[in-house]
Amino acid sequence: MRESVVRSVGLTASLAYGALVLWLYVTQPQTMAQVSGGLTSIIGAYSVDQQAFDDGLRFFRADKFPEARAAFARADRAGRDARTQFYIAYAFYREGWGRTYDDDVLFKQGLTAVDLAIALAPNGRLVVDDPDLQMHSADELRAELQRGLTIELSDFNPLRVLRKRK
Amino acid sequence: MTAAREAIVLPFLLLTVTLLGGLQPGARIVFLPPPLFCLVLSSLLLAALVRSGALDPVRLMHGSRPVLANANGAIVLVALVAAGAQVFAMLTPASGLPLFFVSVFFFVLLVNTLVASPDRVRLLRSLAVIFGAGLILKFVVLAGLSQPAGRTARVLVALFDAATFGSIAQDPQPAAAGYLAFLTVALYLAGAALLPAVRAVGLEPVPRMQLPEA
Repeated sequence: MRESVVRSVGLTASLAYGALVLWLYVTQPQTMAQVSGGLTSIIGAYSVDQQAFDDGLRFFRADKFPEARAAFARADRAGRDARTQFYIAYAFYREGWGRTYDDDVLFKQGLTAVDLAIALAPNGRLVVDDPDLQMHSADELRAELQRGLTIELSDFNPLRVLRKRK
Repeated sequence: MTAAREAIVLPFLLLTVTLLGGLQPGARIVFLPPPLFCLVLSSLLLAALVRSGALDPVRLMHGSRPVLANANGAIVLVALVAAGAQVFAMLTPASGLPLFFVSVFFFVLLVNTLVASPDRVRLLRSLAVIFGAGLILKFVVLAGLSQPAGRTARVLVALFDAATFGSIAQDPQPAAAGYLAFLTVALYLAGAALLPAVRAVGLEPVPRMQLPEA
């Protein structure tokens, strides 16, 4: 084989391998599913498991939130789909929401999930067209989760018990 | 040096070391980038390799070489620095007194090697000893002391902690970590041995002394 061919092949392979190493250090995938999902999403070939997503949606609408999150996590194994991450965050919100107080632990997990959804969405804008939801954008959901985690004067208002879950 | 070694073998070896050096096996895989001090150590190591003749940078990058060859050479140099930093980061304990002492140990050994200017073979042997010592210290001695069981280890750790200004106990590591470190060090040393060395010039074969015939 000609030397220039060997050098060209070596250069291309080295750059690709180096980029892979750099990508692993930057994105910190923790499972092989995340590695393969991340790589396939780079070339636009990543897709969620539709059956698992539909299961998750059914559980979500039946207010079975831990089951819904498990199904959504199964649908988006690599955590690369903004819409699925939005539903996971919404499930944390609805489960953590309380008439008298909100569950901070669940809200924090919801905030992490919605931040991931925003990071994955093109230009950070994510709108989910679902009539079952009262908040359709990730920004609204994020703000609501943050409000739940912040202690304000309005938290001590007795009329707070009349508010509705979104 | 053949084009295949420079363009394929060396980058593959050194980038693999870069990848494995920061890999922390466990329930959740983590890739740790090297701290700044390890980049300093790696730069010292690069200088030692050049000074000993184990690496001739002119054979990797030079104005007389084609652009493609220089690009291959640049990748080898960058990967060499990154791999060295990751090896040092991997062999340095994570916290406490061992972190301090092993960092000083590596620094002093490298400066000493740099000043002593050993030849290529001696430098490679010295590197094997430095990395071997680091490997044994972190993955055999300290890992043994950090095992949750073992009364002797607990007493030793408690005595040492009380007598010094820092703790020697480290977080327990999965068994795979030591094997992975061994493989990484072996790959790095193989890569260092394959680097283009300074060519010996002007040495004529010495004629053998012949005994007069009786």
